[in-house]
Amino acid sequence: MRDSLILEVKDLTKRFGGVTAISRCSLALEPRRIYGLIGPNGSGKTTLFNLITGLEHRDEGEVRFKGERIDGLKPHQIALRGIGRTFQIIRIFPELTALENLLVVARSTGGAARRRALELLAFVKLDRLKGEYAGNLSYGQQKLLEFTRVLILDPELILLDEPAAGVNRTLLNDLLEAIRGLKEQGKTVVIVEHDMKVVMGLSEKLFVLDYGEKIAEGPPEAIQNDERVVEAYFGR
Amino acid sequence: MKPLTWGIGLLVLAALAIMPFFVTSYIVSFTIQTFMWVALAGSWNLISGFTGYVSFGHVAFFGTGAYTGALLISKAGWPWLPAGLAGSVTAAALALLIGYPCLRLKGPYFAIAMLGLNEVVRALISYFEDFTGGGSGISLPPILSIEPVYYAMGLSAVSVTLLTYVIITSQFGLRLLSIREDEIAAEAMGINTARLKLYAFLLSAVFPGIVGGFYAWYASHIEPLGTFPLLTTITMIIMCLFGGKGTVWGPVLGAVLLSVFQELVWARFLFVHQALFGALIVAVVLLLPKGILGVLQERYRLPRAI
Ligand SMILES: Nc1ncnc2c1ncn2[C@@H]1O[C@H](COP(=O)(O)OP(=O)(O)O)[C@@H](O)[C@H]1O
Ligand SMILES: [Mg+2]
Repeated sequence: MRDSLILEVKDLTKRFGGVTAISRCSLALEPRRIYGLIGPNGSGKTTLFNLITGLEHRDEGEVRFKGERIDGLKPHQIALRGIGRTFQIIRIFPELTALENLLVVARSTGGAARRRALELLAFVKLDRLKGEYAGNLSYGQQKLLEFTRVLILDPELILLDEPAAGVNRTLLNDLLEAIRGLKEQGKTVVIVEHDMKVVMGLSEKLFVLDYGEKIAEGPPEAIQNDERVVEAYFGR
Repeated sequence: MKPLTWGIGLLVLAALAIMPFFVTSYIVSFTIQTFMWVALAGSWNLISGFTGYVSFGHVAFFGTGAYTGALLISKAGWPWLPAGLAGSVTAAALALLIGYPCLRLKGPYFAIAMLGLNEVVRALISYFEDFTGGGSGISLPPILSIEPVYYAMGLSAVSVTLLTYVIITSQFGLRLLSIREDEIAAEAMGINTARLKLYAFLLSAVFPGIVGGFYAWYASHIEPLGTFPLLTTITMIIMCLFGGKGTVWGPVLGAVLLSVFQELVWARFLFVHQALFGALIVAVVLLLPKGILGVLQERYRLPRAI
């Protein structure tokens, strides 16, 4: 049972001073699926990503990736094991070019890595801007660049923190197509997204956080009608 | 680099190689100092220009090299060349010792810790009087000809510049830049930032150690106050920033221009010299934060390896 899970979060708790950002949270992710993670602002979605990727240290609980404990590992170790992520507030390398932003994290440096980087840039229509400093790209382009930067690491589990925010309509469809494509390639995706239409359309299963607690999980149709969820979003 | 660039570079090197035979010893001494500054500014660039970790105590590696060289010459009877080169070993050892804990510190804390390091090293050297001569320092036999030092310093300057070129054209160099750009993102993308920072720090200590050793021999006398001045670190920083941090030729350009500037102003206006230098620092920081090459690079889309 356990071994068939790609990620298992158990009773995870994280406090910031008096605020409990994540409270006894447990999740189980199966491989080759797209999951949605939703919840009101400040409900702990980004913190959960930070805990999984090692950027924040948990107070209690454990995180297992493919059966092995990863809480306590350094962020780069977790990344190299196969968990990639994007950031809600873009974190590209502004004074590196678009192409360099990908090459710098590639696992190898040969012609193959370069070809793959160019392929990824072409895929998000940034190939003509490959020599441009990333800091000069538009907001949406930077988001797409950050998305491709995750892919060049070829992670098995990809955590996307609001990838669609600020991306224009035409590119958005390409982006959503790309995310669905990741599943075909055997990857697992967790997506945090505010646009309910987007996240409901994409995810096979949703987790709902409220005040750091998981208050519901299930397929999109069930979540839409879940009382606690409706209350968390609209009841106050 | 293009063949033309290589051609010009080789011509300049050839000219520098035969120069001592044609110019006064004043010019040779001036060039020795300039070489030293190229090596120092270029070394500071390797840690601070690339990773953004500002080292305010880099002269500590220079001073450690100087004392290593002077002690090996005076106490162990080593010839000056291996004694100078040995400065790299002690400087790198110090960098390892101090870099491991201090490179975890962020931003200004690292800068201050490095400043503290410099004071500690200087105090230790003053304290162990019997060994280091304390405050009065170490005297070495006067050197009979400065040409050998000219070539040794020149090769050090060239080596630092070549090393910078090799680094910046490698993925290692890009990764150092990514630490400067966004260390958390670099770490989250699988880059072992702690290790890479330490490597860069070690590399940045090696050549200050070597030129420190050569300097001791060249100056024939060293003492703690003159060997570890904060002004030396500040000069390295200004040279690198003025020319362009994170570039290959920036520290070279900055070191040459500011050495010439200092020499001219120093000779003519002894009293306002400090004030002018201070004003220049402010001007660079305010008007040219990216340095000459940084600005050119951005405006004319020059390749990264300039
Ligand atoms: N580094 C931090 N220090 C203090 N409080 C934090 C920190 N990060 C997040 N929080 C708090 O934790 C809670 C969850 O935040 P976050 O994970 O960003 O929510 P979401 O991504 O769902 O909007 C919020 O109350 C937020 O203020
Ligand atoms: Mg968030």
